[in-house]
Amino acid sequence: MAANYWASSQRRHWLFSREKLADIRDGLWEKDKVAHSQFPLPDQRLLNIYFNQQLIKLGKRMSTRQQAIATAQVYLKRFYTKNEIRQTNPYLVLTTAFYLACKMEECPQHIRFVVGEARGLWPEFITPDVAKLGECEFALISEMSSQLIVHHPYRTLSELQTELQLTSDEVALAWSVINDHYLTDLPLLHPPHVIAIMAIIVAVVFKPTHPTAFTSSGQSAIAASMRDGGGMQMLAALSDKSGTAPPPKITKLVSWLAESEIDIKAVIECTQELVSLYEVWEQYSEKTCKELIGRMVKSKNLDK
Amino acid sequence: MERPRDPAVHPLKIASSLVSPRSFLYSHKPGPSQAPPKMDKSQQPSSFQQLEKLGEGTYATVFKGRNRQTGEMVALKEIHLDSEEGTPSTAIREISLMKELKHESIVSLYDVIHTENKLMLVFEFMDRDLKRYMDTRGDRGQLDPATVKSFMHQLLKGIAFCHDNRVLHRDLKPQNLLINKKGQLKLGDFGLARAFGIPVNTFSNEVVTLWYRAPDVLLGSRTYNTSIDIWSAGCIMAEMYTGRPLFPGTTNEDQLIKIFRLMGTPSERSWPGISQLPEYKSNFHIYATQDLSLIIPQIDPIGMDLLNRMLQLRPEMRIGANEALQHPWFHDLPQIQAKLQQQHQQQQMAGYGGMIPPQPAY
Repeated sequence: MAANYWASSQRRHWLFSREKLADIRDGLWEKDKVAHSQFPLPDQRLLNIYFNQQLIKLGKRMSTRQQAIATAQVYLKRFYTKNEIRQTNPYLVLTTAFYLACKMEECPQHIRFVVGEARGLWPEFITPDVAKLGECEFALISEMSSQLIVHHPYRTLSELQTELQLTSDEVALAWSVINDHYLTDLPLLHPPHVIAIMAIIVAVVFKPTHPTAFTSSGQSAIAASMRDGGGMQMLAALSDKSGTAPPPKITKLVSWLAESEIDIKAVIECTQELVSLYEVWEQYSEKTCKELIGRMVKSKNLDK
Repeated sequence: MERPRDPAVHPLKIASSLVSPRSFLYSHKPGPSQAPPKMDKSQQPSSFQQLEKLGEGTYATVFKGRNRQTGEMVALKEIHLDSEEGTPSTAIREISLMKELKHESIVSLYDVIHTENKLMLVFEFMDRDLKRYMDTRGDRGQLDPATVKSFMHQLLKGIAFCHDNRVLHRDLKPQNLLINKKGQLKLGDFGLARAFGIPVNTFSNEVVTLWYRAPDVLLGSRTYNTSIDIWSAGCIMAEMYTGRPLFPGTTNEDQLIKIFRLMGTPSERSWPGISQLPEYKSNFHIYATQDLSLIIPQIDPIGMDLLNRMLQLRPEMRIGANEALQHPWFHDLPQIQAKLQQQHQQQQMAGYGGMIPPQPAY
């Protein structure tokens, strides 16, 4: 939402290089090696999948907009670049990120309602004291230096819809690819328009043969057609135009990209990130995430 | 002519952190080896001496303050926290937008300080709001034409910047426009501002103080856009000339009637689609369009042309902020500003600061 991306706090303060992000995480690890070895947690992306599913559950009964869920996910990422997850109660942090994101995206929810819903989902981890949420909200605002306006790729997608003559199926698929990119580090690594372009390319290139009803995730649809392999070759054609001529729609997309001065390398990198997300997804187990987080929070008394 | 930069505004002074007096997120007690978290990250409230109260808003009280270290004057906006809603949405909106909008025509947010039960926003100090400025400096509230032009230009610059950044102010009124001793005007109070990034049709229609509210909003349109701020700017321009609000309505309907009485009652012919708006009534009394220059005799014809372009009933017909800044009325602005600067210096030399009424510019 809001303001000009190029002058935004998102671009100035919350866009990292891969190396920088790795350094930040090493720093958090250095500071608390003991906790890291005592409380191993799943791969960050698997944790993100778990958090996202919890957010969706939380938002379900409040009919929250997707954009608020997306904003909450970005808040979580930003917050955990400043704080070691093993020193926090992730359930409180994600409930708070949700509560704050709803305020920012203009679909506010009452604090008691949010706490009540969160307690219904995770009774062991959320206390009935609403002041806790208010305090955590403040910590979140503080750690993000009050830079709360998040630019999402959804807007670029809707802006390009007409220009690139995308079908409603393609838009829906690109939309779910954008939903999925919040499960990776991509929101901290690339500007939203690069993500949107990536999502459009994936939707057009890997268009699933059976356009079933799209879920909120592009995983099942895309992972299957990626495995077929054909799509990856077409993707390669984007950077190397000497290959065999792709279908007209893709040709059009390629020439549009060439004119647009978009960083193609970044787009391809994003695509690879997404591919590896879908690979890692195979290992996802809600139960494992739940157990490992639960054990950590309980043994460290982080829920009090 | 280049104005000297306000010495009070040091970009480096704009701290970006929010200070919390205690760490509540982590349940474990910090051991003696651990420094208390974030206490030293920025200034504490005690680093500002609280002076007189400047005003009371809907969700906050504003005080004048002095930075104990630098002596710099600031405005301290105190927001009381209610455990039932966490940090108020209005405050969150204002803080986060101010973090993105840095411009000479928008009041600067230096710092945000959190204490046990209140939130304090530290703003650039401005002497008074436009309403009080008109009451104290104007002749029965009326401002001289040179000042009106200078203020309008700055107001439109601030609006254009907001709009370029996809932000609607939504609550422009003299009380929200702040003036400093150098005659600079800046937009303040972004508590109701919203970003219009994604087309949403569910804007609340309960915004903008009635007197400055655009007719499309009054008619219940929920798809309003940047043009609502332009309408407000037009109302403010007229008020600066006459010292009186142009459309001082008491209720939504009364506000519409006051507008129609002057601007003429719109019809489906002059404003296609108007009859579809929720608050439209087919039995609105039909008024003919009045000549605004009879109500605002102080205004010159070129200024009247600009005003008319801003006060178009139909939102699509209203001039945009950037276009308005290019209007011929502003062509002599450099000369006007030089003259105002001269007057200002004379007052300074006379030792009165900005406190005396302006000398008539004969």
